Amino acid sequence: MRFGGRVRPDLAPLIAGYRPHPGVYDELIDASGGMRSHWEPLIGQLAGYGTEATARIFEAADRHLRDAGVVYRVYDGPGGAERPWPLSHLPLVMPLAEWQILADGIVQRARLHEALLADLYGEARTVKEGLVPAALVAGNREYLRPLIGVSPTGGAYLHLYAADVSRAPDGRWWVLNDRTQAPSGLGYAIENRIALSRAVPELFRSLNVDRLAAFYQRFRASLANLAGRPDPRIAVLSPGPLNETYFEHAYLARSMGFLLVEGGDLTVHRDAVYVRTVDGAQRVDAIIRRIDADFADPLELNTASRLGVPGLIEAIRAGTIILANALGSGVAEAPALGAYLPALARRLIGEDLQLSNLATWWCGDPAVRADVIAHLNERAVLPAFGRTLSNGQMEHSGIVGAGLTSPERIRLIGMLQTRGLDFIGQEPVRLATTPVWERGRLVPRHYALRVFAARASDGWHVMPGGLCRISERADARQLSMQRGGRSADVWVTCDRPPDWSILVPAPEDVEVSRETSALPSRAADNLFWLGRYLERADALLRLVRGLVGWGSESGPSDDEETPSERLSGILASWGAIPFATTEPRVAAAEALRSEFVGALPSVLGQALRTASAVRDRLSPDAWRALGELSASFPPHRQGAERDDLAGAADRSAPEMSDRIEAALRTISALAGLAHENMNRAGGWRFLDLGTRVERAIVVARFSRRMAQPSSDPSLAISSLDRLLDLTDAQTAYRARYLSGPALKPVLDLVLLDASHPRSVAFQVERIVAHLDKLGGRGLQTQPDVAQTRAYRLCERLRRIEVSSLGEEAIVETEAALMVISDAITERYLAGPPPAED
Amino acid sequence: MARATTYEIRHLTAYEYRMAVPFARCVLRLTPIDRSGQVVRSAGLELDPPPEECQEGTDDFGNRIIRIAFHRPHTRLSIRSYARVEVVDADADAAVGALAARSPNWERMCDLALAGRDIRGLAPVGFLFSSRLVVLADPILAYAARSFEPGRTVVAAAIDLTRRIRRDFVYDPAATNVSTPVLEAFHARRGVCQDFAHVMIAGLRALGVPAAYVSGYLRTEPPPGQPRLEGVDATHAWVSVWCGPEIGWIGLDPTNGIAAGSSHVVLAVGRDYSDVSPVDGVVLTAGEQGLRVAVDVVEVPAAAKTGDQSMAD
Repeated sequence: MRFGGRVRPDLAPLIAGYRPHPGVYDELIDASGGMRSHWEPLIGQLAGYGTEATARIFEAADRHLRDAGVVYRVYDGPGGAERPWPLSHLPLVMPLAEWQILADGIVQRARLHEALLADLYGEARTVKEGLVPAALVAGNREYLRPLIGVSPTGGAYLHLYAADVSRAPDGRWWVLNDRTQAPSGLGYAIENRIALSRAVPELFRSLNVDRLAAFYQRFRASLANLAGRPDPRIAVLSPGPLNETYFEHAYLARSMGFLLVEGGDLTVHRDAVYVRTVDGAQRVDAIIRRIDADFADPLELNTASRLGVPGLIEAIRAGTIILANALGSGVAEAPALGAYLPALARRLIGEDLQLSNLATWWCGDPAVRADVIAHLNERAVLPAFGRTLSNGQMEHSGIVGAGLTSPERIRLIGMLQTRGLDFIGQEPVRLATTPVWERGRLVPRHYALRVFAARASDGWHVMPGGLCRISERADARQLSMQRGGRSADVWVTCDRPPDWSILVPAPEDVEVSRETSALPSRAADNLFWLGRYLERADALLRLVRGLVGWGSESGPSDDEETPSERLSGILASWGAIPFATTEPRVAAAEALRSEFVGALPSVLGQALRTASAVRDRLSPDAWRALGELSASFPPHRQGAERDDLAGAADRSAPEMSDRIEAALRTISALAGLAHENMNRAGGWRFLDLGTRVERAIVVARFSRRMAQPSSDPSLAISSLDRLLDLTDAQTAYRARYLSGPALKPVLDLVLLDASHPRSVAFQVERIVAHLDKLGGRGLQTQPDVAQTRAYRLCERLRRIEVSSLGEEAIVETEAALMVISDAITERYLAGPPPAED
Repeated sequence: MARATTYEIRHLTAYEYRMAVPFARCVLRLTPIDRSGQVVRSAGLELDPPPEECQEGTDDFGNRIIRIAFHRPHTRLSIRSYARVEVVDADADAAVGALAARSPNWERMCDLALAGRDIRGLAPVGFLFSSRLVVLADPILAYAARSFEPGRTVVAAAIDLTRRIRRDFVYDPAATNVSTPVLEAFHARRGVCQDFAHVMIAGLRALGVPAAYVSGYLRTEPPPGQPRLEGVDATHAWVSVWCGPEIGWIGLDPTNGIAAGSSHVVLAVGRDYSDVSPVDGVVLTAGEQGLRVAVDVVEVPAAAKTGDQSMAD
């Protein structure tokens, strides 16, 4: 081994097989084969732990990420799927002095891009002077014409800037990509840090790793400052739960006290932006934009957008809203600009560029194009604007010239010759490598580092750390979390412990606070419906349990409805099965398996969909339990003969019962989690309101159907018996009455007894209590229909004589509950526009 | 102005909503402006109900835009625009035909456009690339390329493409709607003016010839002895082709296979339909909505041209 003599003997086993790739910079081992000294404390510590203990420590980090619900979404197939965030356990270690060189270069680039944007949306001098081809601005779809001449509120286009960097073989940094639109990764970076620093706390301290907290705090403080009023409202504008990095949007909102919103939550009124909340419309001062700019305003940008805020550009023109980053900032990301940045730096900020780009050639120039074609084997070809070409010609990651087959090569040259202006050539790059822990050994893996900078009143600040993305492949352009990459924490190590006196508490130590942030109407609406869907699923499971548990029976005459027929009648009225059937097992199987809109798979699917939109307000445990619940009742294709269903149901009856019991337990665990864990000031009240409204409706419906008169006394009794089952009231009933089920006592218990937690009266009292609390919030400009109707119903249930509880009275109760539900929606959830000034 | 035809234009866009709309915001591009070959004598808008917010402005392409917002619940919205526009009388086909001989070769268009140092407005470099509704796809490129033989002048080749689209495509309002992708209309060889304009633009840009989308009006009744044109019942669309710095932009109408001339009134110009759609509105309503559009473009007899300022009906 070349580095034998220079490696401490205790470290040798760990790195015995570590072989850096020739011609590639390696973070751990230097050119002479020795270990770089700043790695020694970390590697030494791991060697001290031994392989097994190290593996256990790293597992703890994985567990943290899993428990914290850190996920990202991969786009494979319809809807995609969520994957646990893959952490590469070994951090990238970097001494402060080395880091500072990189950080200085990043700050310079942030300043350069800010100046470039101001020029391009202003007088465009750099284009007129020929420093950048007009086509690379005017032809870029991120150059948003409605924003020309509009100065950004707060004075800056960029508030957050990121660059992907790696190292040349000689160790110098070069930049792979600039990120000016909406840099992602801040949330994942902090989760990596929390996971790892908790797994190896002593190590983390002994290496004097610089802390990330100040960076996040400064970013937040600077935006708040720009807003220019106390307690400004800052929103994270997300495309929604189907987005790849939605977890991060929710995470940033939760940990930094921002409001997580989608376009539909925001409205523009007289040139100002408002968020619709359960307390009415409230002004928004700043938006951290995580949707592409062209989708941000369907009125003046892409009219097909359903993600944006109509009129947002009007508000920007009026200077009432800060955007981080400004609409149109994405124009600076175009990879083709790389070729012109050195000259632009000299012209715009009067400095030489400190960090080089990959060598880049724009093929719109005939001579340059010919040269790229002549050297195709030593070039990668990419879309000039970094955007996948819509005709399917080329992915945004581009094509490497070497290794192309002859027809591929001919096609690529053809594309360059007809539409050279759409492409750039770049030198292919082999990314530097950093050590990765694999099966008890260290191996070199290629990496690229995303470094973040945030604007503050005193200039740009670079986060001392970042998101290190690790790839099996050497080519920078293949680096993607979509393709099975991993990520690592980045440790910038200081000689002395970081100066604690200037440090605010790390975000990981800050208690999440949501007291002051308003609850957006959409979030409240989703929680309300989550409560309703879960309760409906609970009711479906109880009905099916009733059907399966009792088996089929036949009445004395065909005219008389059996209790099972009544149960399946309820299922049919909810659209869970197509029509009532005398065969209980068929009804049960269909309600649990079919694709009908009221059947369990669809109801659970709706619950999951509404829950995914309020991920930031649910605990990871609750989210996981709900996902598992939904996955355990997949929809089956319709069209199976009902006889087959009955047979299958018979064969699997015991298994079906187990699944029903397990599912009911999960739902009650979810209710418990919400009850115990959700902040009462936030959305819990709406979740519980949904549960109570649905349960009241369901129990009233159960009562009406099961208490219907029957000429056969035994059927009537059996029917009431099942009603007690459905409403968990057997124990309570037996404790009170020695006789078997009789009509008046049963109805009294399940409808009117406010001390029975499944009775309608109990639900209505809870609804009243919630509405009382909510009624104290916001401005009371109109009489509250929901509250009035809930009071009235509550009073009625208190006074009504059980003897007068006929079918008609129960129908009235159901109708009153529906009115209350609609009134809640209108009052709190529909989000009326702001009142006229 | 040379001999001109004066048109009176009335354009009604009426929405009916089944449920009251509490709040609405719209952008209107319904007001013609003076352009080469056309002079706007008067123009106006009538909105019912009247909007609570109303701002007039100009977009980067030079089009007049009006932004409006309604704060009060309403169940219908009618937008009536009217204008009186003079269009120069000229045999556009003959004029463009004359240019065919002396325009530069089409192969030079791309480099000529790229040489510019202007990124604003109608600078041709902004019309060379794919845009929201115009994808540069190989099949359309191959189709268009048959008109663009090596060494042909850009005007001659563009006229040829205009006529081929007229010949090869069937005018069929049932085949497409406002959001049909250009490739779909191309493969179906059917559609309306919007589709034909997008197909032609996609072909021209793929070849490196700057091309813009024009929305506007056609006269409703043809002059005596001439055939009625397609596209008179609503706003029409055609293509503007950049033919080098000397000639500039010329209008070609692939729906009718002719040069845009004295029967065409320009409303707005952009990269594709999404830049110029006459009414962009975002309405918060759960219910269905009905839409009625009526366009009337009538030649004003010479005798009636003086002193008539009141055009509202």
